Amino acid sequence: MSELIALDALGPKGTYRARNRVTVTDVAGVPAADLGLVPKLFVSRTMAALHRAESLPAAERIAALARAARVFTEEEIGGLSYEDYRRTVARVSGVPISVVREATAAIAEAAEQAGFVVAQPRPAGAVGDWRDPGTRDGSAVWTRRGSVFAVHAAGNHPGPHSLWLEALALGYRVAVRPSRREPFTPHRLITALRSAGFGEDQVVLLPTDHEAADEILRGADLGLVYGGDEVVRKYAGSTVLPQGPGRSKILVTADADWRDHLDTIVDSISHQGGVACINATTVLVDGDPAPLAAAIAERLAALPSLPPEDEKAVLSAQPVEGARAMESFLLAQAKGTVAHLGGEGVVEELPGGGAVLRPAVHQLPKADARQAGIELPFPCVWVGPWSPADGIAPLRESLVLTVLTEDEKLVDALVEEPSISNVYLGDHPTYWIRPGVPHDGYLGEFLMRTKTVIRH
Amino acid sequence: MPTAADSVLDLPFDAVPDPEEFLRAAMRWHFSPETGSPFWLERASLLDFDPLTDIRTFADLTRFPNLAGELREVRAEDLVPRGYGDRPDVVGVYESGGTTGAPKRIVLLRDWLDRLLGWSSAQLDAHGVPQGVNWLVVAPTGPHMVGDVIKHQTALRGGLAFTVDLDPRWVKRLISEGKGAEAGAYAEHIVDQVAHVLRTQDVGVLMCTPPVLERLAARDDLAKLIEDKVQAINWVGTQMDPDTRHLYRTEVFPGARLYSGYGSTMILGNASERPGLTDDEPCVYDPWSPYMTFSVVDPETGVPVEYGERGQVVMHHVSKSLLMPNNLERDHATRCRPAPGAAQTGDSVADIAPVREFDNETVIEGVY
Repeated sequence: MSELIALDALGPKGTYRARNRVTVTDVAGVPAADLGLVPKLFVSRTMAALHRAESLPAAERIAALARAARVFTEEEIGGLSYEDYRRTVARVSGVPISVVREATAAIAEAAEQAGFVVAQPRPAGAVGDWRDPGTRDGSAVWTRRGSVFAVHAAGNHPGPHSLWLEALALGYRVAVRPSRREPFTPHRLITALRSAGFGEDQVVLLPTDHEAADEILRGADLGLVYGGDEVVRKYAGSTVLPQGPGRSKILVTADADWRDHLDTIVDSISHQGGVACINATTVLVDGDPAPLAAAIAERLAALPSLPPEDEKAVLSAQPVEGARAMESFLLAQAKGTVAHLGGEGVVEELPGGGAVLRPAVHQLPKADARQAGIELPFPCVWVGPWSPADGIAPLRESLVLTVLTEDEKLVDALVEEPSISNVYLGDHPTYWIRPGVPHDGYLGEFLMRTKTVIRH
Repeated sequence: MPTAADSVLDLPFDAVPDPEEFLRAAMRWHFSPETGSPFWLERASLLDFDPLTDIRTFADLTRFPNLAGELREVRAEDLVPRGYGDRPDVVGVYESGGTTGAPKRIVLLRDWLDRLLGWSSAQLDAHGVPQGVNWLVVAPTGPHMVGDVIKHQTALRGGLAFTVDLDPRWVKRLISEGKGAEAGAYAEHIVDQVAHVLRTQDVGVLMCTPPVLERLAARDDLAKLIEDKVQAINWVGTQMDPDTRHLYRTEVFPGARLYSGYGSTMILGNASERPGLTDDEPCVYDPWSPYMTFSVVDPETGVPVEYGERGQVVMHHVSKSLLMPNNLERDHATRCRPAPGAAQTGDSVADIAPVREFDNETVIEGVY
């Protein structure tokens, strides 16, 4: 067996090799890396160092981010080429290699375009710097709400790591606590950022156990965490921004025919292996949902079960035990619905170890059935009936809502609904996103504030 | 025929008795009507063996039932051996932390304290902790033994003891009720009191728990005061991982000696960190045998685990002043061999932790 990759904390004085180590395994249970976990004392000292540090000037930050994108995608880091790294991410996270390639390319793109991206959330009335001529007559200036930003990263998909780059671009010093499941992406990204010019006391990687994790948030001015409903409740309205469930949905009203949009609907469910918060969890249709559910099931049934590193893999993989637990949860929750796919189970074990979670399609008895909100990290969709009498209530709490309709009044109501983050009209998949549009509001809305400056 | 009052029970701290001779003398003392305590004399008839003839070795101590729980209710006077006479020299009545139910009481007698201080002072010397300096003791006082004992120890070593009280029961209650913010506020209240002593007084040794030390280290002004004044830090109460210990030694307080003890009220004292451990070794504690002896057992079977394996700690205390054998502690530890060449009865222990809990990271619902 080849030697384990050592992943160490990247602290304010360089790499820190902790004695406390855990093994990161791939979906088959094969050790992939040996990750050093830092103690609480190291965390609090690091956070203090971030507070003492200074940020690079704005223009240098943007240039360094662009350089980091090239290092990230071109150089060997910690003994891994870009391709080795992406393969390793596929093996440990179970996300198909083609999806990992797309997501890592998107991280590089976000770094390259950081200057453009962070300018988008700035209010029209605000300038970016107090030296701007606009402040001579008095103007709002877009300023930071703090100096140190902490992230408890998720390991389901590399994509979310592009988000905190915005904080770095805005001049925050940033501490990232990696997921123990997939620490490779932030390790590579932070190493690239440092080699591109960011200081060791400006961006740090702090792998920790649970006990020290809170210390990272406590030591920061603002934070970002990923999790379920419980995490959202815990941090709502605090200095920590929770990124909760996606529960993305698709609505097809009577004036549209789902047959014209089946590709988009199926893709929204299964794109990226179905692991993302922007995958559709629920599809509602005005009319009988059975033919639509059957059509989705037919398409999804054809997806092959392959190990995540296979070029043709499209479904995500898991360790067998986790996959089985997920399956029993689904089967128990699905009672009272009609299974079109996956009703007997969704786990298919892979010959090389690990298991693929195959798609599941269930038909709901009504639009607001309890199951409609159950979001699982594989192509698992609930197809239900909807009628105008149901109104927008069943569409609430959606990160993305794709709506196929000609009804402008309905669109008005959906765009105005505060618990729906993004509304896509027409044939756009729920996973559509590009740099510069907000994913769940702009992160900049949370990181920044306006401040009036007038000068001579 | 030796009398129950045997000189082997009164040896100076640095004279090592033959363990089994000592043990038999202790049994005679505690189970003779004229010298034993009412507590043990009342229970002698309930034992299914005769302590005077059946307890020959330290392994035999496991024949005793674990009576520590009865220390919650028993009259404190009944714990004092009659052999101390009508006016025993009592230093104090102390209570355990009370983590697992109501607190347990013991009586601290002068002769034991004197010898304990002799021994623990020698341990401090072995670790290079200076004599003739003041101590700042951030530790439980009140019903708890540690605060008082350290005050006596400081006096013995020539220095003043400044104290900041720490109420472990209140902290545990706040935490068990999920009042994390209040527990944090209490900790800051302690840190503020420590700050006042550090600013105004000469402090050569700081005694505190690892969580308090972390809070002190996090305040730049206090870290500076500690760096300037404190020559040794004696940490107690909970464990410190090797990475944290290394950070203190190399980065945070490189000028201070770090030393720790692992104590329990039920052994009337503490085991002492083995001198000369490297940063990569676990923190090993050696008990003061034969007065305090440890074994590490499988919690299911009670059978000792192998060296290097983890198990639950069983403690015995055998001295003239107290017999408290076979007390199963809440803590788990790694079983270690005694230091090379040491005439020690029983095990040493390392990596003390309350019963280990594992993170269940199988998250079902949601994409994160």
